[in-house]
Amino acid sequence: MPDISETSIFTQLMLHQINTRDVFVVLPAFNEDTVIRKVIEKLLPFNYALVAVDDGSIINLKNFIKDLDVTVLRHKTNLGQGAAIQTGLDYSLRMGAKYIVTFDADGQHKASEIERLLTPLISNNMEITFGSRFLTGASHNMPFARKVLIQLARYINYAFTGLLLSDAHNGMRAMTQAAARKVRIKENGMAHATEILVFVKQSRLRYSEVPISIIYDEYSLKKGQSGWQAARILLDLIQAKIFR
Amino acid sequence: MTAIQFIFIAGVIILFIYYLMSMRSAVAELVFLIVLSGISIFFILFPNKTNTIANKLGVGRGADLLFYVCILLFLFFVLKLFNRIRRLEKTLTELIRKDAIDEVTSSRQEPVKESGDEIDNTKDKKFTQ
Repeated sequence: MPDISETSIFTQLMLHQINTRDVFVVLPAFNEDTVIRKVIEKLLPFNYALVAVDDGSIINLKNFIKDLDVTVLRHKTNLGQGAAIQTGLDYSLRMGAKYIVTFDADGQHKASEIERLLTPLISNNMEITFGSRFLTGASHNMPFARKVLIQLARYINYAFTGLLLSDAHNGMRAMTQAAARKVRIKENGMAHATEILVFVKQSRLRYSEVPISIIYDEYSLKKGQSGWQAARILLDLIQAKIFR
Repeated sequence: MTAIQFIFIAGVIILFIYYLMSMRSAVAELVFLIVLSGISIFFILFPNKTNTIANKLGVGRGADLLFYVCILLFLFFVLKLFNRIRRLEKTLTELIRKDAIDEVTSSRQEPVKESGDEIDNTKDKKFTQ
């Protein structure tokens, strides 16, 4: 499998004199238990500032990762992934983050690919980048049913936001500090992925998509979204439209 | 007076007293409550009057008209409750978020702090019972 050389991130960032500690990686986590430890261990060599948001997990996330160099924010009760991401953004901005990356804690993303998302922000003057598993260059082994669901989600996103991306509901994104300030997620559940596109549209953020790979293992599939949850997202979106 | 009229009037009076006790000195609500109770008792005593109104509105029977009005009212209240839940959820989210961030920042005392990020929970919202 083609992989980016692990050192290139340092050269890229060094070239532009960016401290990796100014890059905040937000990991929303709900009952990830031991899996998140593996995810964080893979992220640690890159020396980013790591922010795990424990969204009211049954077993406190801190128990699993307290010895690692990562900030753990804990919601006292489960609110949803959207809320967890917003908490991570708020905290990162307060800590003076220059770039903020959202990264799924279930191990489906590759730590080495964060650089791909950051590069357009650093050099191309993009303000927000979305990971896409469908652009060429991305490797994926996705079940058919999910493929269909995501295609559907793409057009639903388009209907709600006017932006047609090649991937919908990809948990990997990167944004600049200025872009993050324009994002204010109100959808606590999974509809936040669409809501972020609304902010992109409203604030006319310059965005681009970046090919990334998704690792589908048994665990991430189990944690991933089912058709039922997809219906729930659609319902959330419609509600938000009516009650805004 | 038939038995059903007796039961309904008793029900309206009990509801009236119940609301009166749980209400917190809102004059408009009191007036609304009295008018509503008065109207319901009137129609319970003279059910034929509803037929007259229904006919004027193009509905066959008074009971049908009542049924339609009830559906509308029911939907209205569902939406109102729905909205309130959303509002509560929003407040809850902001509180939990603030708590989560404060817990980490207060123990560590990081230098960067911006006033613009403070979440405003003081916005006055009316939560009536």
